[in-house]
Amino acid sequence: MPGGAAEAFSGEWMAPWLRARRKLEGAGYGDAVCQSYARTSIVVAFETGPEPAIDMADTLSAITIKSGRKAAAHFCEAAPVAARRLGSAPRFRTWLSLMQRFAALAPESIVPVLSRMRALMEELNVTQLEAWLLAGVRLSGVDVEKRLAFFTFETPEAAGLLDRESKGIGFFEMDRRLRAYLCALFGVHPVIREAPPGRHDGSGRRSSFGEGFIQMPGHYRGVRGPEAEMLFRAALAHIGAHMRFGQGRFVLGQLKPLQVAVVSLIEDARVEHLAMAEMPGLRRLWTAFHVAEASGALTAESRFARLSRALIDPEFEDIDGWVRKGRDLFFAARDQWDDPQISRSIGNLLGNDLGQLRIQFNAKTYAVQPLYRDDNLGLWAFPEDGAPEDRSEILLDAARMTPNDGTNPPDTTRNEPETDQNTERVRPRAPDNPEGGVMVARHVEYDYEARVERPDWVTIQAVPPHAGPSGYVSEVTQRYQPLIARITALVNAARVGRPERIRKQQDGETLDLDACIEAVRDMRSGIMPDLRVYQARRRQHRDLSVSVLLDISASTGDPVGDVGVAIIDVLRDATVVLAHAMAELRDPFSIATFHSNGRDEVRYTQIKQFDEPMGRGVTAALAGVKPGLSTRLGAALRESGARLAQQPTHRRLILLISDGEPSDIDCPDPRYLIEDARRAVQGLASQGINVFCVQVGQRNRETEERVFGRRNIVHIASIAELPEKLSILYLRLTA
Amino acid sequence: MLDGYMIEAEPYFRPTGNEVDLFTAAYQARLPVMLKGPTGCGKTRFIEHMAWRLKRPIVTISCHEDMTASDLVGRFLLDPSGTVWADGPLTLAVRHGAICYLDEIVEARQDTTVVIHALTDDRRTLPLEKKGELVQAHPDFQLVISYNPGYQSVLKDLKESTKQRFCALDFGYPDPSVETEIVASEAGIDSATAHTLVEIARRSRNLRGQGLNEGASTRMLISAGLLIKAGVPLGEACTVALIVPITDDPDMRDALGNVVAACG
Repeated sequence: MPGGAAEAFSGEWMAPWLRARRKLEGAGYGDAVCQSYARTSIVVAFETGPEPAIDMADTLSAITIKSGRKAAAHFCEAAPVAARRLGSAPRFRTWLSLMQRFAALAPESIVPVLSRMRALMEELNVTQLEAWLLAGVRLSGVDVEKRLAFFTFETPEAAGLLDRESKGIGFFEMDRRLRAYLCALFGVHPVIREAPPGRHDGSGRRSSFGEGFIQMPGHYRGVRGPEAEMLFRAALAHIGAHMRFGQGRFVLGQLKPLQVAVVSLIEDARVEHLAMAEMPGLRRLWTAFHVAEASGALTAESRFARLSRALIDPEFEDIDGWVRKGRDLFFAARDQWDDPQISRSIGNLLGNDLGQLRIQFNAKTYAVQPLYRDDNLGLWAFPEDGAPEDRSEILLDAARMTPNDGTNPPDTTRNEPETDQNTERVRPRAPDNPEGGVMVARHVEYDYEARVERPDWVTIQAVPPHAGPSGYVSEVTQRYQPLIARITALVNAARVGRPERIRKQQDGETLDLDACIEAVRDMRSGIMPDLRVYQARRRQHRDLSVSVLLDISASTGDPVGDVGVAIIDVLRDATVVLAHAMAELRDPFSIATFHSNGRDEVRYTQIKQFDEPMGRGVTAALAGVKPGLSTRLGAALRESGARLAQQPTHRRLILLISDGEPSDIDCPDPRYLIEDARRAVQGLASQGINVFCVQVGQRNRETEERVFGRRNIVHIASIAELPEKLSILYLRLTA
Repeated sequence: MLDGYMIEAEPYFRPTGNEVDLFTAAYQARLPVMLKGPTGCGKTRFIEHMAWRLKRPIVTISCHEDMTASDLVGRFLLDPSGTVWADGPLTLAVRHGAICYLDEIVEARQDTTVVIHALTDDRRTLPLEKKGELVQAHPDFQLVISYNPGYQSVLKDLKESTKQRFCALDFGYPDPSVETEIVASEAGIDSATAHTLVEIARRSRNLRGQGLNEGASTRMLISAGLLIKAGVPLGEACTVALIVPITDDPDMRDALGNVVAACG
């Protein structure tokens, strides 16, 4: 019997433990597994008590059956690690059942996960681990190889999601407040985007900027909590200072990488000083990140860090001659700080000095210090025909980012696959979208199994509408002329809030004669009169904006009924008729279409803006709608809701015109997107946005009611039914 | 009759241009005047100052959504012997020759504001429809309205026919140096602190339309300055007087809080 067993399983626990071992031996998993269990269950028993250690045998069996003996061995090694980390029996049991579930969901990936358990448990608690594991399963859909790639960290998302789960504050959590911060401080409005994931090589992760845009790392590795917030803020304030006080790019000329680095360093200090003259508090923010000490080896990098600190931190004293010279030159030029050329001249002098000292400098491994500074890419103009290797020499790993005019932010999915020798991580390219969607937003998605909303899970791509055949709308309006007339009449009746006389009011424009007579009668008979003797006229009016959301997934290409009309035609015609009615109503309304191609590509096309009239452009865009792809309903609803929320009206409504239930290529579980859509509808309701679904074609009552609620669906089989159904809707709205 | 509406002591006003002369000229011709500008930039203070300078009583009416024409011109009241007419504030000013100041006129409904039309052209009359009286304006009467273009939305804008009856003076936030002077003088703080407050406000105004409807006004800066004078530290004073009143959006609050940290 292994040592310690008697203490671990004392008294009554010894017999069940031995029984569990016998059961394993009898199951034929092999000696190694049984011995492993015998050894590790003792450790577990010391950490969490004997009972979970005995239960562990059942989980072990389940995993062995699903994934084999190798997995079993890894499980036995991982269990004590988890037990030690989790420390309590209930948490360890949760972990056991999580592992058993995971082995069932992704049998091929259990080994890589178990073998990384120590590292995973250092970053995550058991709930976060569950969320991360399920995220990996969701992410890969039914693709087993993709799943394995995720759990072996070959997919960059794995590390990114791990960071997120482990509560490292990422750029996207703070995106909005940081934008506001930058805009307030410097009055600039660049496009800010998160750097594409997949550069987890630990070095060179710096912010970057160009004309009118900024690229921020999604996370700064190893920086957590409040410090991460500060760091993002410092980085943006620094770039803001460049944008405000820089005057165009420096010409590269014949400068060596070393000189480029020094000139950039002086320029950094120059713009920071100009900003600090206006906003002295920035010094506190930035200085906190300057941690270089005036000691240690004198490499080029350490000198740069020390000079950077000497230029901003008045308390910092350095004995190094080069650093002192840099500081003296810089502060002697105090009066010319508003001229960027001093950065260049001082930088050149200092660069030459370093050159004469024959200091080694490796531009490829150099990363600007401290962490909040940008990669200096935005400071230099590169010759258009310059050989790419020249660039990369100076630009570290940032060469892939080409300067951009800011009007057209580079697409996150368009980056060239990386050729970094350290990490052969290649971001799987999203399927090309020929019409060029631009990423505009990310939304959460709800996972009913994990019961979490995963932040930034779905990417919305804004796709410009394309014009269809002219004449389509006029043809539709002609065809449905009587229908439109009926709806218009209906809508007019709904629109005009007739003025209403309200009697017996405390205030009002005129006296209410009846009330006056009563009051005077009361007064004369010595009774306390009712003094509400006024009447007022009030107009009841609806204060409503509507967002029409049109589902154009591939299934809408199917025929409806037996006349051979496609659902999309009915949807589109219904939209045209509705749009006419609503234009008549003069309620602000917008029209958008959506379809999706996996979570990275929910394509959203705004056909009509709220304040745009129903002009030729809108009708052409409606005519150009083509069905295709899938229905990621929740994401589309969230996007539409986010846009609608900007409308300053009392009531807001999303009118979804759809043919059926949500689905997408990466979601094999049909319930997943239904539950997500339901969650989205509920979330919108809590923001005061109602979602109403006009459903065309085959009904699936249960699903619809689960998502929208029974009262919020109307079903139409053909467009002729639209007026009746519409009247139901408007009655409901004005009620 | 309107003694209660006279302004006795000179209200502090720091001119930023020739608005005092322009307004005086407009008053001499009894032209209706519109004061445009964001909230808290000194429109009301200016008109009070002008009333004091011209030695005219001033009747101020703060307009609101629920205001009806009766609230302006007057209404019948009930008393033991029957009904009596009570003049509204506008009628009072018209009869007795005061400056009538309609503050934030766009807040009132458009059908309410048309009652001023006959007052603002050469008729200078106010019809009291319900009473059956046509009031001829006193020779000293002048109508002044204020109007915050920041609210611009289709719902809240003046009718074209109303707009075109007025001369307009445009007010903005003063230059930083002037604003510093105003804040220092009104709050009684040193000009370095006032300067910091003004720098913070200028940055908050960058966020106008980017998450804030309006940046911090001069009025808010004066409140912050008064708190500082009472011994509150700068950061807290700004939180209480600028950030919390201006927005409920946690992201904007965070950004503004850090702007204060950056400037202070």
